Amino acid sequence: MSHLLAITVAAPAIAAAVLLAIPATARTAIRVVSLVGATVSFLGSLQVAALYDRGQGGLQLLDSFPVVPSMGIYLKLAVDGWGVALLILTGVIIVTGVLASWSVGKRDKEFFLLLLVLVAGVFGVFVAQDLFVFFLFYEIAVLPMYLLIGIWGSSHQVPAGGPFKFVWKRFEVGSKEYAAMKLTLMLLVGSAAILVAMFLLWGHSGARTFDLQVLEGTKFPIHIQHLVFPLVWLGFGSLAGVFPFHTWSPDGHASAPTAVSMLHAGVLMKLGAFGVLRIGMVLVPDAAQWWAPIVGAVAVINVLYGALCAASQKDLKYIVAYSSVSHMGVVMLGVATVNAAGWNGAVYQMVAHGIMTGLFFALVGLVYERAHTRAIAKMGGFAHVMPVVAGFFTLACLSSLGLPGTAGFVAEFMVFAGAAKGASAWWAIPGVLGAFVTAVYVLRACKAIFWGPAPQGEYAQLQDVQRTEWAAPLVLGSLLVVFGFWPRLLLDFIDVASQGYLTRLPALALAQLGAP
Amino acid sequence: MSPITLAVVATLAPAATALLLLVLFPLRHRGMPAAWVTLLGSAISLAASCKLLVDRIGGAADERAVVPWIEERGRAMAEIGVQLDGVSLPMLVIVGVVALCVQLFSVAYMHDEPPRAFGRYFTLHALFLFSMNVVVVAPNLLQLFAGWELVGLTSYLLIGFYFAKPSAAQAAVKAFWMTKLADMGFLFGLLVLYVNTGSFEWTAPTSTVVATWVSALLFVAVVGKSAQFPLHIWLPDAMEGPTPVSALLHAATMVAAGVFLVVRADPLFAQAPATREVMLWIGAVTAVFAAGLALVQRDIKKVLAFSTCSQLGYMVAALGAGNAFAGFFHLGTHAFFKALLFLAAGSVIHAVHSNDLGDMGGLRKRLPITTAAFVIGALSLAGVPGFAGFFSKDLVLTALEGRGGGAPWVMLLAAAFLTAFYMGRVLIKAFWGELSQKAEHAHEGGLSMTGPLVVLMIPSFASGFLGGWLAGQVKAEYHLHLGLTPVLASVMAVAGLVAAVVVFGRGGQAPGARILEKLDAWSLVDRTWATAYRLGLLGVASIAGWIDRYVIDGLMNLTGWSAIEGGASARRLQTGLVRDYALLVVVGVVVLALMGVLR
Repeated sequence: MSHLLAITVAAPAIAAAVLLAIPATARTAIRVVSLVGATVSFLGSLQVAALYDRGQGGLQLLDSFPVVPSMGIYLKLAVDGWGVALLILTGVIIVTGVLASWSVGKRDKEFFLLLLVLVAGVFGVFVAQDLFVFFLFYEIAVLPMYLLIGIWGSSHQVPAGGPFKFVWKRFEVGSKEYAAMKLTLMLLVGSAAILVAMFLLWGHSGARTFDLQVLEGTKFPIHIQHLVFPLVWLGFGSLAGVFPFHTWSPDGHASAPTAVSMLHAGVLMKLGAFGVLRIGMVLVPDAAQWWAPIVGAVAVINVLYGALCAASQKDLKYIVAYSSVSHMGVVMLGVATVNAAGWNGAVYQMVAHGIMTGLFFALVGLVYERAHTRAIAKMGGFAHVMPVVAGFFTLACLSSLGLPGTAGFVAEFMVFAGAAKGASAWWAIPGVLGAFVTAVYVLRACKAIFWGPAPQGEYAQLQDVQRTEWAAPLVLGSLLVVFGFWPRLLLDFIDVASQGYLTRLPALALAQLGAP
Repeated sequence: MSPITLAVVATLAPAATALLLLVLFPLRHRGMPAAWVTLLGSAISLAASCKLLVDRIGGAADERAVVPWIEERGRAMAEIGVQLDGVSLPMLVIVGVVALCVQLFSVAYMHDEPPRAFGRYFTLHALFLFSMNVVVVAPNLLQLFAGWELVGLTSYLLIGFYFAKPSAAQAAVKAFWMTKLADMGFLFGLLVLYVNTGSFEWTAPTSTVVATWVSALLFVAVVGKSAQFPLHIWLPDAMEGPTPVSALLHAATMVAAGVFLVVRADPLFAQAPATREVMLWIGAVTAVFAAGLALVQRDIKKVLAFSTCSQLGYMVAALGAGNAFAGFFHLGTHAFFKALLFLAAGSVIHAVHSNDLGDMGGLRKRLPITTAAFVIGALSLAGVPGFAGFFSKDLVLTALEGRGGGAPWVMLLAAAFLTAFYMGRVLIKAFWGELSQKAEHAHEGGLSMTGPLVVLMIPSFASGFLGGWLAGQVKAEYHLHLGLTPVLASVMAVAGLVAAVVVFGRGGQAPGARILEKLDAWSLVDRTWATAYRLGLLGVASIAGWIDRYVIDGLMNLTGWSAIEGGASARRLQTGLVRDYALLVVVGVVVLALMGVLR
């Protein structure tokens, strides 16, 4: 198939267009169309993996359509090894996400429509080879979140306090509207930074083009690079939850409905890290290497500080949300190592964390739907009534704390090994400490929710996993173990890409020094 | 079948069992069929291991096979595989024998559990055997670490088997956290080794400085896993798990993984005398400290748990003295007799429905086989000449002669006396004397309980005679000689037992028991860790949580608030009144005119 990538990206968008034509009362049809759109994309991503030649590496399955040729904008799609791994992740998460939202009650047509548009954007980012189109897809992925949280989300109250207590007069901190607004505004400020960086690159490329391949071959003046890298790092970094621009994440993920949290923490946050890696590290490598120690230092704050914040939470969704902040720190730490072990680990952690957090949010959604509470203190002994949920939750916890035999271990281990081998070996220390703190908070939560005497009263009759709810735990849970025992399934793709991009780095850095 | 295939079968048969039981949950939920499947998997694994050992006795050479596992720049960064040699093969058989005995014993012991729980129990046993074998056959430190963490997981799940009980739930997470805390040392050790040698091999050539760092970091993990002072506090709590689990994981095999690691990584430790010096002292201190605490426990399982701490101290001290073989040999004999003791204790608990020594008494009249098992185990543990424990303990003590100024040697001899003394106490309190009320209706369990006891009695007595052979396997020197140490050790063992008869035969108390109880050194260490957890970790965490919500996020809110407030202030300029605008126009014109004039 020559247009395989285009089909993979377009399938959810086409399904969304079909949904427009379906009456809102046809509830089953809406779900089936969404599922078909998602499944086509997922199968497409598997087919991409099957067709991708790992021996050759580089960009493959090229597909190009002109958009604004006069400005050098082409809809140019192609995939590298990183893209293959992330396409598969996105496919898995959207299929299980659609199945996990089967019971959405309110305005379900619009809900699925936005979900599909969003995921089309995500697919697009991973295969776009034109910076302008890359950015376009990025925005398509980010913006629907405002409505998805604002309309279908849930609110709670955060008590006023602290040195900035007076802002509570203006904002209802903790409400879904607040969470949606904060998320959107913070990410849009990031987008503005990216936009500036993008035009700086365009203006200095000489060829006046957005083509990533051309930009990769361009040697940008060092002062431009030093302008571009921080913009890219903080711009995309705001979506990756880089400290201190992570604060949209706990509120956003806590307020969002199940499938939205799954997609957002599972896939969207990866767009941010992918952007830093693909645009920042690859396009402006000289500045990137200068900035890398700073990126790593901030990443380490993310890992440890995020884990500590998670340990202090009493609301189940907040724990999982802060754990994302911490785990995305591991991704960014891998990005900052600028070596193969670290980059492999970073991309592997994107996949591992995507699956793990998708599983977490799916299960938390299940518990919330039944128990109508997210306060851990009110739970206890749930393993007696929902053993399947308890089992899979434990599995997600284990991957989260990096237990060997789960995907989380492979990823974290590669990142720590890359960090230890990199310029600042001390990074590995807080990284490993963060993994220990993770062990504390996830197992504490696990014990508080599922262990203990059998629940009494209203919780005595809680139901275990039912019908379509099986999809997310079963698929995501098995993948965590499969990728944990057999990392080469994905690593073969990831490694070839890291290798390809890294081999060009020293040459560029040397050229900067005026070496032959 | 080739040796490699056999080793893979030995490792993966229990994994296949566990996977089958996880996926085919109706099978698991039926209970008893799950037990049979698990037993079958373990039997296949043991048969393969035995075949390998027999071949080795017949002269088969060392084997090694690896495949790439994690790759970097097209090359294998980490490998997994199997390594078959004089260390892994005996260990494989020891683990297999004890595991099979314990599983068989469990069929009867856990009989009253609901079918689902019963199935879960055996699934976890299969998972454990797989994980332990991953450790044993590991060809490099990374795979050893992977297996090491997986046994930690099964330990966590099995301690928390009775998860409805809050104390069991607490004990499970405590065990996981304490060992995980120590395992950070393992991970750092791996990273240091990788950065300096580019591999995870324990044979990788390296400098003394690197070897010292790596071995010291690995030893931190050993302290956690093998329950050495001051990270030992999780082991007695781990007795919350079912008794057969305590026998297999928390006495015979898993806790000995730490010792196994040091035996494995001997080339690294041999280059690090500083690390060995520390090991020597920590082992000796733990041996005496835990033996003293074993003396005052009322719970029969706790006595055995502290005894395990103490015996692991012997092994660690031997490793610290530079005699890895002595530690390994004691690991082997200890695995048999401690598993036997725990299973016998399980049989007692099953019969009298209590762990409390006060509820027992005169059991020898009701439980003859169990009594025989416990006596053999106790004599072996005490180190009575002729029994397995004597030979290995003697080797440990001989290795310590003259080390560290002689103090560790004296400490371990004292611990040998205490060991005989506290085991004599248990024997007298539980099996001799008047028949207690609860023991009135006690009777032996079925064949699946007594069978494993009888099987384990044999190596508990006789495995000591295999020392010479085992030494040949690992190319160590071993010869029994009649020196000062074996004589003193025998005297200590007999004296301890005699003292126990004298003191406890008349229902007395251990001298100094009051002081030991009052000192409560135990809970002092325990409380220190609890405080560190609450203040150090949860305290810092809640500060971080508050800062994030009210300061970091507060600043973000402040930005939004400033925009809104700023907009609201600026809005006042737009009054909508023509005269205001006219005034502004006039002011503007005047200012501009003035600027023109002044220029």
